[in-house]
Amino acid sequence: MNRVKTFKSILWTITGLAVAFGMTRLFTGLGSVSNLSDSTPWGIWKGLNVLPGIALAAGGFVVTAVIYIMRREEYHRYAKVTVLLAFLGYITAATALVAELGLPWMVWHPIIYWQHHSALFEVSWCVMLYLTVLFLEFIPVPLEHTGAFAGLRRFLNKYKLVLVFLGVMISTLHQSSLGTLFLITPEKLHALWYSSLLPILFFISAVAVGPLVLILAILVISYLYRKQIETDKLAKLAGASVIVLALFGLVRLIDIVATGKFGIIFDGSWQSDIFLIELLLSVIVPVVVMGFKRLRHTPSALWIASSSAVIGIGLQRANVAGIMLVRTGPIYVPTFYEITISLGILSAAALAFLFCVERFKMWEVPWEDPEENPEAVPHFDNVGEVWLGTPRIASRTVYSLIFVIALAVGFAMISTDRIESAGIRDVPVKPARGGDTLFVDGNLDGFGVEFAHKDHYDREGGNSSCVICHHMNLPYDKNSRCQECHSQMYTATDIFRHDWHASPDGGNLACDMCHNPNEQRAAETAKSCADCHKDLEPANTPIKMEQYLAPSYADAMHGVCIQCHKQRATELADKETLGQCSACHKLDTPAYLPDEVYAKFRDSSFNHVVMPPATVNKAGAREKSE
Amino acid sequence: MKAILTDITKCIGCFECVAACKASHGLENDVPRDWHRNDGLSAKNWTAIVQRQSGHYIRKQCRHCLEPACESACPVAALIHTDTGAVIYDPSKCIGCRYCMIACPYGIPRYNWEDAVPYIQKCDMCYDRIKRGLQPACTEACPNGATIFGDRDELLAEAHRRIKAEPDKYFNRVFGEHEVGGTSVLYIADIDLEFMSYPAHKDTPVLPETTAAAMHAVPVAFLGMGALMGGLYWFCKRRDQVQMEAREGEDKE
Repeated sequence: MNRVKTFKSILWTITGLAVAFGMTRLFTGLGSVSNLSDSTPWGIWKGLNVLPGIALAAGGFVVTAVIYIMRREEYHRYAKVTVLLAFLGYITAATALVAELGLPWMVWHPIIYWQHHSALFEVSWCVMLYLTVLFLEFIPVPLEHTGAFAGLRRFLNKYKLVLVFLGVMISTLHQSSLGTLFLITPEKLHALWYSSLLPILFFISAVAVGPLVLILAILVISYLYRKQIETDKLAKLAGASVIVLALFGLVRLIDIVATGKFGIIFDGSWQSDIFLIELLLSVIVPVVVMGFKRLRHTPSALWIASSSAVIGIGLQRANVAGIMLVRTGPIYVPTFYEITISLGILSAAALAFLFCVERFKMWEVPWEDPEENPEAVPHFDNVGEVWLGTPRIASRTVYSLIFVIALAVGFAMISTDRIESAGIRDVPVKPARGGDTLFVDGNLDGFGVEFAHKDHYDREGGNSSCVICHHMNLPYDKNSRCQECHSQMYTATDIFRHDWHASPDGGNLACDMCHNPNEQRAAETAKSCADCHKDLEPANTPIKMEQYLAPSYADAMHGVCIQCHKQRATELADKETLGQCSACHKLDTPAYLPDEVYAKFRDSSFNHVVMPPATVNKAGAREKSE
Repeated sequence: MKAILTDITKCIGCFECVAACKASHGLENDVPRDWHRNDGLSAKNWTAIVQRQSGHYIRKQCRHCLEPACESACPVAALIHTDTGAVIYDPSKCIGCRYCMIACPYGIPRYNWEDAVPYIQKCDMCYDRIKRGLQPACTEACPNGATIFGDRDELLAEAHRRIKAEPDKYFNRVFGEHEVGGTSVLYIADIDLEFMSYPAHKDTPVLPETTAAAMHAVPVAFLGMGALMGGLYWFCKRRDQVQMEAREGEDKE
């Protein structure tokens, strides 16, 4: 009883958090919760929920085929469980797929826009069709419980064989088509995973792992509800699955040897290590454990073999789906939000599974003899008669409370920073270094501009020319440096320091000094800065400010230089390249850069990406500077 | 079939093409992210210029493959290879699966990660302009003739002519002539540009063909599996019957 309650409470917590994060994802976009990026377009939702999820849901068609087509009646009592597992497995995969779509409300588009060359088109049709089949296969169970639609139930049970056949045929396509998805990436997927046999490998491994997932689920349920485990029957099923697993390993190794990739397995790279781990978990451990006759019939052997195979095949799918694809950017690490959504979908499915197991006649496993072991009397989810009348209501209240609290905590945990900045990191600006010639490299990336400060000073007319660029003075200052206001490399900065003006260390001004007490306090209704700071803006400066929002350092530098340069390029006969980016952004050795910083950015693989000059400025400040 | 030829030896890195692209497509200013380090392309930069160590300026944009992997990958036919050579994108069909990003051998399609309603973003070779008989904004803006627009056959001939005229200067290959079945965006250079994409390119297959065999096998696999299961069912049923009869026979004896 406590087992069930603890387990369910954990599941409800994760589900609650995931619902909060999922809603955030829906309303504020993928970037606000995930670390998905242009270099990692598919992440943990594909690599954990979709690809492994579908493989692990294969029990639905494999075990029903064993029961109804191969007529192995001894497994008949597991038919409903395996169909339910597959149904929920497909629902979780479909949910994750929809969560991952950029435009989830367009998910039905493959129905009307056909593109039969696309493996993903095949996948989406298979998901839709097989979900329908699974629904029809499963629906008699709850109908039987409620007693409604007896005619429909009889009809569906009568034509069960048709559904089983359809299920096997669609699943064959679907399992293999997930492999087909990655046939188009021969140069991106690591050689140990890419194979022209991917569809076949996916199919074989799904057939093998499907029944093992069923076994694992039965073991979990038996543990939770203290049911008796039919070890012999399960061991026989596991044995057959392990033979298929061995076949999978064999085909894979033969394929690797035949395509001359055998050496890569032992080349010592991290990919080869993962390959060996994957092979160990998915094939070697289950085969060894189930291979020994003495071991085979113990529950722990079943536990080890099934969980090892499930993890191993899951890892293989995750590797193909993303881990082993070539990266072009930083390493993808899923965010906490992403992982929670991923687990939340699984938790919700697990809760639905437990719900069905508790309510409906899922399978008739004999209870352990209560006389022999009084502790083992099947306890369902009853909290006791402590409060609120019936036990069912009591536990419902507890779970609802857990869910609601988790939901609230989830919303509280979401970082608004991430939503507002959409994953943009702060790049604080460092001052330019040098004397007569300044090395301007605000973000210290080793690529900067050598700015001949003294030359410009002399050329533009000495002291009277400062205001052309230095358009603002901080209090008690006559020529503020650029980065003091333009303190972010790529984003605008609000330069009015409200906290500083209001603090005892700073101005310690009363509100009334700037805000009119009769008006709502806002930036628009406050006094302007120049009312107090009379010489904030030097006289004659061509750059006028209205809002105190400093454009990004890059924009400010471009804004102040490019206009003049372009003008001079047309005026001066021998300076026509002056207006070009390469006039300033040279690849020559920067004179003022520490050697180690220079070396870091000059490895042979590094390309310098110059962000193009701004053409549109949201802050509107650029227009004023021009 | 239209094409763009970029002569790396002529590019001076002035970014006029990038600015023109942004202006003609109304793309906002961008903020660099970690993943831009590769090539500077992003949802707001459909073309970018990469400065190489050797001092070369290399313009990146969609290569407009003749047999595009993205077109074959898209489940809803939102990416279309047009007769003009441009591979264009129809946002009204897109579901946001990003399989095109996985499939593209050059890693070109980018995504509006920060938007709640995101779309794939990539160069469309100014399809609206070339339909009207104009040239793309980038080639029009190039002050040095480094990137030019024209018929693919003519540009290929021009590229070969340039290489032939100065064999010592140019690397003897027109990049984009044969890779992944040929592309409409061609390059010539005085260095080996390789594949201008992921590092590990060894050979350059026509990508849609890699999945074609598996896709053609779909009906066969579907019906074949049905037939196989039917046969198995018949066999098992017959086996059970024979066993039952035998058992009945034993009982009678």
